[in-house]
Amino acid sequence: EDAVPKQKVEIDNKIALARIRETIKLDPSIPWTDTLVVSYPETIDVDVDDDLNRELAIYKQALHGAQLAKTLAAKHSFPFTRPSDYFAEMVKSDTHMERIRQRLLDEGASIKRSE
Amino acid sequence: DDAPTDAPVLKKRNKQRVLLLSSRGITHRMRHLMSDIEVLLPHVKKDSKLDSKNHLHLLPELADLNNCNNALYFEARRHEDLYMWAAKTPNGPSIKMHVQNVHTMDELKMTGNCLKGSRGLLSFDKAFEQTEWGKLTKEVFTHIFGVPPQARKAKPFIDHILTFSLIDEKIWFRNYQIIEKDPLQPNGPPQTSLVEIGPRFVLTPIRIFEGAFSGTTVYSNPEFVSPAAVRSALRREKGDKYGSRKD
Repeated sequence: EDAVPKQKVEIDNKIALARIRETIKLDPSIPWTDTLVVSYPETIDVDVDDDLNRELAIYKQALHGAQLAKTLAAKHSFPFTRPSDYFAEMVKSDTHMERIRQRLLDEGASIKRSE
Repeated sequence: DDAPTDAPVLKKRNKQRVLLLSSRGITHRMRHLMSDIEVLLPHVKKDSKLDSKNHLHLLPELADLNNCNNALYFEARRHEDLYMWAAKTPNGPSIKMHVQNVHTMDELKMTGNCLKGSRGLLSFDKAFEQTEWGKLTKEVFTHIFGVPPQARKAKPFIDHILTFSLIDEKIWFRNYQIIEKDPLQPNGPPQTSLVEIGPRFVLTPIRIFEGAFSGTTVYSNPEFVSPAAVRSALRREKGDKYGSRKD
């Protein structure tokens, strides 16, 4: 006989969740430039196993966020775009970026060879 | 003279500092994910590994000692499962999540790059607004993953965006570089495009507690099956197959 699957107890105490959120909420009067949060007005309904469409949907969300943020930054006269003469340390080192570039070149070459 | 002096009107600011640490027994991939997060978030203070897995109540004290009001704690189990705790200290709440599908910035497939310490945008999709636990998660993530403007190492420009998307009851995390010039037309009109920087991961919420690493459970995910249970079910299935073949 099959064992009866144990039903997990679901807890979703909405009142407590709302109360907790109220206690930690940031003051609504702080300017947007303090948090830089943007909300995407759509939900993403894709098949999670469909890698291509899932990534495309997330990309669209990010693109929407970037464009919205740019207009918001202009409204708050907040510097957004990095000037081309501004140099500083990057997250990925130059050697790492060189390896990425080399890999792209190698891939391109192997595609050409197989053609 | 004890007349109240007019205190200058203090501007409200978003002040956050995050303590980042892990348990013992993390693998290299988990460690790399942590260092990626550290490099992306300049308001993070990294601390050494926590010795005990049963004394999480030490964490709020530790955060306080480091002047942090948030904690991001990575807990490794059995050297393969990774859990992430995102907590507001000292009063809570805390969210426990299971981390899967980790890809770090070291991978060569993600070609983007951004300034070290630039403040990232945060994008949340609409699904976070549809449930009470989603709203709370969005608030906590805003505190932890949003870089406050006065962070010491923060750079003054925006060049990347962190996205959180709720798909299939899981939170998908991505980080993209924002490129405003078309590389093929450097003098053409500015056109925004994105290149992924990494890291990537997927979070399954498990529970939300009222306190910081303690307190009553205010949300639990009924869909969550622990990875150990998944593995044991797989093994049992395999064993059953063998048993029936032998008979």
